[in-house]
Amino acid sequence: MDKLMNRSEDIGAFVPMPDDDMIVCRCEEITKGEIRRAVHDGFRSLTEIKRVLRNGMGLCQGQTCSRLVRSIVARELGVRPSDLPMTTSRAPARPVEMSVYAKEVK
Amino acid sequence: MKRYELIVIGAGPAGLSAAIEGAKAGMNVIVFDENARPGGQLFKQIHKFFGSKEHKAKIRGFRIGQMLLKEAEEAGVTVCLNATVLGIFPEKRVTVRYSDHIEQFSGDNIIVATGAAENMVLFDGWTKPGVIGAGAAQTMMNLHGIQPGQKILMVGSGNVGLVVSYQLLQAGCEVVALIDAAPRVGGYGVHAAKVARYGVPFLMRHTIVRAEGKDQVEGAVIAEVDAKFQPIPGTEKHLDIDTICLAVGLSPMSQVLRMSGCEIEDTPGGLVPKTNAYGETTIPGLFAAGDVAGIEEASSAMIGGRIAGLAAAHRAGYLEEETFKQQAQAARDSLTQLRQGMFAKENRGRTDLTKTEEGYALSKNLLAKGFVAEEELKAFPSANAVVSGVHPVIECTQNIPCNPCQDACKFGCIMVGRQITNIPQIDREKKCTGCGMCVASCSGQAIFLVNDDFEETRSTVTLAYEFLPYPEKGQTGIALNRSGEPVCEAEVISLRKSAATDGTALLTIAVPKEYSMKARAFKLNGGTD
Amino acid sequence: MAVTDKAQVVIVGSGIIGNAAAYYMAKRGASVIVLEGSEIIGNGGSSRNGGGVRQSARDPRELPLAMYAVEHMWPTLSEELDMDVEYFKKGNLRLGIGENHRAILQGLCDRCTAQGLDVRMLDGDDVRAINPYLSEEVTCASWCPTDGHANPLKATLAYYRAARRLGARFYTKEQAVELVMERGKLRYVRTACGDVFEGETILVAAGYSSRELLHTVGIDIPMNKALLECIVTEAEPPMFEQMLGAAMADFYGHQTPHGSFVFGGHTGMEPYFGTYANEDYSRSQAISAPTAARAILNFFPRLKNTKLVRTWGGSMDECADKVPVIDRCDEVDGLAIACGFTGHGFGIGPITGLLLSELVLDGKTSTLPIDAFRYNRFGSH
Repeated sequence: MDKLMNRSEDIGAFVPMPDDDMIVCRCEEITKGEIRRAVHDGFRSLTEIKRVLRNGMGLCQGQTCSRLVRSIVARELGVRPSDLPMTTSRAPARPVEMSVYAKEVK
Repeated sequence: MKRYELIVIGAGPAGLSAAIEGAKAGMNVIVFDENARPGGQLFKQIHKFFGSKEHKAKIRGFRIGQMLLKEAEEAGVTVCLNATVLGIFPEKRVTVRYSDHIEQFSGDNIIVATGAAENMVLFDGWTKPGVIGAGAAQTMMNLHGIQPGQKILMVGSGNVGLVVSYQLLQAGCEVVALIDAAPRVGGYGVHAAKVARYGVPFLMRHTIVRAEGKDQVEGAVIAEVDAKFQPIPGTEKHLDIDTICLAVGLSPMSQVLRMSGCEIEDTPGGLVPKTNAYGETTIPGLFAAGDVAGIEEASSAMIGGRIAGLAAAHRAGYLEEETFKQQAQAARDSLTQLRQGMFAKENRGRTDLTKTEEGYALSKNLLAKGFVAEEELKAFPSANAVVSGVHPVIECTQNIPCNPCQDACKFGCIMVGRQITNIPQIDREKKCTGCGMCVASCSGQAIFLVNDDFEETRSTVTLAYEFLPYPEKGQTGIALNRSGEPVCEAEVISLRKSAATDGTALLTIAVPKEYSMKARAFKLNGGTD
Repeated sequence: MAVTDKAQVVIVGSGIIGNAAAYYMAKRGASVIVLEGSEIIGNGGSSRNGGGVRQSARDPRELPLAMYAVEHMWPTLSEELDMDVEYFKKGNLRLGIGENHRAILQGLCDRCTAQGLDVRMLDGDDVRAINPYLSEEVTCASWCPTDGHANPLKATLAYYRAARRLGARFYTKEQAVELVMERGKLRYVRTACGDVFEGETILVAAGYSSRELLHTVGIDIPMNKALLECIVTEAEPPMFEQMLGAAMADFYGHQTPHGSFVFGGHTGMEPYFGTYANEDYSRSQAISAPTAARAILNFFPRLKNTKLVRTWGGSMDECADKVPVIDRCDEVDGLAIACGFTGHGFGIGPITGLLLSELVLDGKTSTLPIDAFRYNRFGSH
């Protein structure tokens, strides 16, 4: 059984890298190192990583970083990026002021 | 709730084309677009498109945008601007955001044509001001008339990277280098050659290591990569630049499709909806067209949009089965033409191609350095038509979908044939008059007129010229070779402009005879950049 | 039968209930397997709720659990699990507009006070003394100073990480489809991909999907699937720390330490839309976000320029009498059940996990009685 299904399957130890402090998610300022560390903490789906770190939860909703995060996680796990389903896309497609959303013209 | 027979999301090439077909068939159609202007990315495409006449080849992208808008207006399509679709909900409802309120609509059919967004790539300093997408650079230059920077590093050698590099040169910027981690230039060779002949160095197998500078980009460090695309220590090189332009691919902007609940496929080109031959997703009546259905280019997007529009009209009962099938088939045939050749989907990433479909040896130099070496050109008959007097030299060396040169020559000198990806052939029996229409019509600027009988010691070379200021007759400058090296003095013999060539001037320069097959670009003394 | 993996306890469902149970069991040295149907740990209601850690207005049967958790578990949970679960014990205002609401809130107050909870009625101005951002619309509220909120995403995953560190084995994309008996005792769980997991005890804690799984051994827990939707805003400077609710239970929410607001609002259609609710994608309704935005602005006019960045939806396992089943099953030896939390399982997740560890490992609970949550209580009165 693969390491995506069996969460006890060993993926090796976390090895610090020189670019760990590089920001990947600009909206929430999440670094590459934080993402890699989360993988070693047992979070092996993009959704779990997003839920513990908040990457992709900012104003752009992951438009910029989701592919970048996926490739980092895939490399860390030793799987192909396409093995990792993307996080769910949800309305609104763009941020909307509350007053605009509340004003519904029929 | 207001209900439409067809709701189109996105007023770019695909969306407008879809709306036009729907409206022409009789549907009541509305198009929503979040931008202040319709046309999507078309209005910043100042280069000439490829394809054949039916694909609007040799017409500049923004002109195609103007044509499409006119056609939409005539068909009675309503385009709502500054109208952002926030989501597609159950029962094919869409919520639209206007400036200060929202409205809900429902559609019997919805065509999503939301296009694509630029990819980013991670490197140290990628968040610094001065790192921009190539598309953003294009918007700055071509819509707003602003130079994105003075000294540019272009990352990515696909068509976007190549086309935007050329436009940066046109805008008066210096493109210090064009790098790509891949071993081979990704875009059309003719686009690369346009950039290389003005002296832009192509550095394949190179990646950006970091952007330097305190508060903004003040330089870059690049390095060679190994087979696994990892930088090779010791190969780092500093570049003196102020702007880093990223052209590292596009991803479909498929959010609204992803939230609609239709089935999504995870492809190497991004998340795209699973669709049938007409662009219909797994939700009946919900279609996708253009880049959001899979990244291609604007010409294919327009046809994809038309097919989806026809299918929606058929679904709504406006087109008989027979008519629909015929029209859709014609559109698909047209699409097939564009999808052939070396750059077809099935050939993407192939490294084993060594010959063109005609059997000519492909240029290796073109893939490594962006220009065809003089020696390599000998394999291509139309680059070496040994005839006296003025004659075309066609340096088109890849099977790409394009044939305006064939239509351009009224005297039948140039033949491409039925398959538009064929390499043009020159009929030596037909007499070239030197009109230059082939030179001006070539979207890849790969055709030159050479006249070795001009004078005893000098030949003329006629080339497509798109830089301001235009040189004037009698002025002198430097002729550059295919890699942008100065090779000799050149005198401007004539500069011809006409409405038909739409800004592309035909520049004829005189050079010493031995340089007639070397001089491929011109720089006015005093410098134009 | 070819067994993929075996342990003392196999837990079906990696929500906060399953993960907390796994943690407390593993902490006592038990070997535990947790099976999750999706590829994501904690993908159901545990990650799709408003984050309330609330005692006030709880059903009298659930209140002792909530009070125990608030007193003994939540305050130390971040430390215990080694992850900040963003717990705030800063009170809950249940807002009312008009006399009708006051009567409802008073009734809820009286019921909880009788069980020893400190919860009282406040007039509009007293409410605004606690939360000055609330509009004049609010005329009264119940106030429970020991209520609060936490981050459900992190709390659920913190239990997962802590349990995993203690040796609990988690399997994702292992959707349990059948419970299999052997010689009069439940022993195996068969999954959709054909794997088989063996345990002395099988604990079913899989939200609404527990119902279908329990059918395979002839047990039915009467539940409906109801949709729940929330909205999330961009970050704003800190404004208030309380948890908010409403008399009609149609509005709730809080500001997170990140600065964003999470608000839930009801359109009244949730029980009907629930039929189609699916965790894979949002069946968010077109009417939900506008409805929520109007409710929010009614209470907080100041948030009018705050941007809504995201909506999400999930489904609740709504039990026939609105409280969960937490029990061992008499008829099926080796089966334990924890489901039907009806949208308020998050706050009592930790104590439920602890009680389940006692129930499964000792055969009975010692911290609190759970007689009110018997699986066979329905239709028998």
